[in-house]
Amino acid sequence: MIKFENIGFKYKESGEEILHGINFTLESGSYHFLTGPSGSGKTSLMNLMSLGNMPTEGQMTMFGKKISTLKREDLFELRQRIGVVFQDFRLLKHLSIFDNVALPLRIMGESDENIKNYVSELLDWVGLEKHKDNLPPTLSGGQQQRVAIARAVIGRPKLLLADEPTGNLDDEIGFRLMGLFEQLNRMGTTIVIATHNANIIEQFGHPRLILGNGNLHTSQSANGPIAQKIRNVF
Amino acid sequence: MFSKIKKQLQPKIKTLGNALAKNPLIMRMLENLGFRDYDLPLAQSEDSRFLVLLIALMSFLSILACSGTFALNDMAARWSSGLENKVTIEIAVETKDGHLLSNKTVRKETKKLAKGLKNNPMIKSLAVLSSAEIQELISPWIGDSLTLNDIPLPGLIAIELRNTNKKSLNTLKSDMLKLSKYARLETHHEWLADLINFTRTLKNLSLFITLIIAGVTIIAITAGIRTRLAIHQKEVLLLHAMGATDHYIARQFQRHAMILSLKGGLIGAVFGLVTTAIIIFLSSHSDTTLIPTIKISSAGIVLLCLIPIIASTIATITSRFTVLRNLSEIP
Repeated sequence: MIKFENIGFKYKESGEEILHGINFTLESGSYHFLTGPSGSGKTSLMNLMSLGNMPTEGQMTMFGKKISTLKREDLFELRQRIGVVFQDFRLLKHLSIFDNVALPLRIMGESDENIKNYVSELLDWVGLEKHKDNLPPTLSGGQQQRVAIARAVIGRPKLLLADEPTGNLDDEIGFRLMGLFEQLNRMGTTIVIATHNANIIEQFGHPRLILGNGNLHTSQSANGPIAQKIRNVF
Repeated sequence: MFSKIKKQLQPKIKTLGNALAKNPLIMRMLENLGFRDYDLPLAQSEDSRFLVLLIALMSFLSILACSGTFALNDMAARWSSGLENKVTIEIAVETKDGHLLSNKTVRKETKKLAKGLKNNPMIKSLAVLSSAEIQELISPWIGDSLTLNDIPLPGLIAIELRNTNKKSLNTLKSDMLKLSKYARLETHHEWLADLINFTRTLKNLSLFITLIIAGVTIIAITAGIRTRLAIHQKEVLLLHAMGATDHYIARQFQRHAMILSLKGGLIGAVFGLVTTAIIIFLSSHSDTTLIPTIKISSAGIVLLCLIPIIASTIATITSRFTVLRNLSEIP
């Protein structure tokens, strides 16, 4: 699914090196937490994985394709296979909840009928069907977060990246959202969640990618109690 | 009254809108043309009014400049065709050696000349200008208060030739001098050439001004679109992250630019066409014959009416290329 080989990244403007010598492989259907102190490069690594930025060194392979060999035009289709949940949600305030969630499908050129069916179904799943005509600013933080997640998964991405998805939420809603991610992972989506929340990491017990000083270390599953319960449910 | 009409029309428009919305083919067609809510909050930008005003002004100026071009073109064509194959023979009041001829001598010489040239093979038609016609010709310079008896007037014979080559003109000149030593041949070519050159220069100037207006419009739209891209960078990057192609994003901007420029273009065109109509009306109802009647052909009027569409096309293309160029810098 994803293979990073000696990946380095520095910003063009400042020349500051953010990441160097990053090596890891994520298998299809895996679930990882990306963690590390503030400023360790988590967001930069997430940007590389979402194809928002290109590495300044090394070889990046996504969905079996070497990114450096692809044309810029080929990246649009690859990005459609990735769902991203941003820390600040990035919902479009002038569009209704329905249209926000429908956006990836419209970009993919899905028919209106399918968009209506898929979006209604998903909004129902995240418990926001009755808010579909509302504008994002009228929703609570937790509801907005669910809209952001719905938007990230509506296109049935192969890879879901979430940057501090529980950062703005209380523990209860945070745990419920993590439950949604577990379900998505069960359906075959590869998931990477960048988080500081040690409690969640411990409870869900998925393998960790630990960033520190621009380097990456891996840590195996702690097999947490909540993850066990969820696995038992399925 | 307008609110009453609006109230009556609103439900009908809504019904029509709903009927259209149920037809997937029409909806798909409208979507392809960009008639769907913007994914980017472009319609909410405050500077939309500025762009509308700018395009309205440019459209207004373009219509005036183009009207000038078409009117001058028409005027030059009328002058050229009106004097084609035509010459004038004049029995001047003052002879080459400075003597003044009496009105009686002038009229006698004119009559003799006309009679002698009547059957000349090079001449298609010939007409001696009457005293009234001469007075009408010179009245813009001397006014209507003076009578012909007060001043000596030349004799004028308007001639239409079968052709105006140099050999024919020389033969005619020689035949004319055989009949009257006071006669002078006026071919109009020199002053008409100057006038047409002057008109042509004015016409080119009008075209140049139109091109400058188009250039300024392109620059202003480019700057406006770049500002919009900077303002909505976060949203543009969001669409980009979701896999939106550059063309998908550019379509949003080009549709926005098209609608605003069409609105501005129509406003400018209405004012421009009304101004042009007033100028044409004033020129045709002027008392003095020194101001030529301004006319614009029907093809010219059609072209003037197309200016809002041309302005909108320029705005659409400019915005598209500006957005595509800027987006190509994103990885």
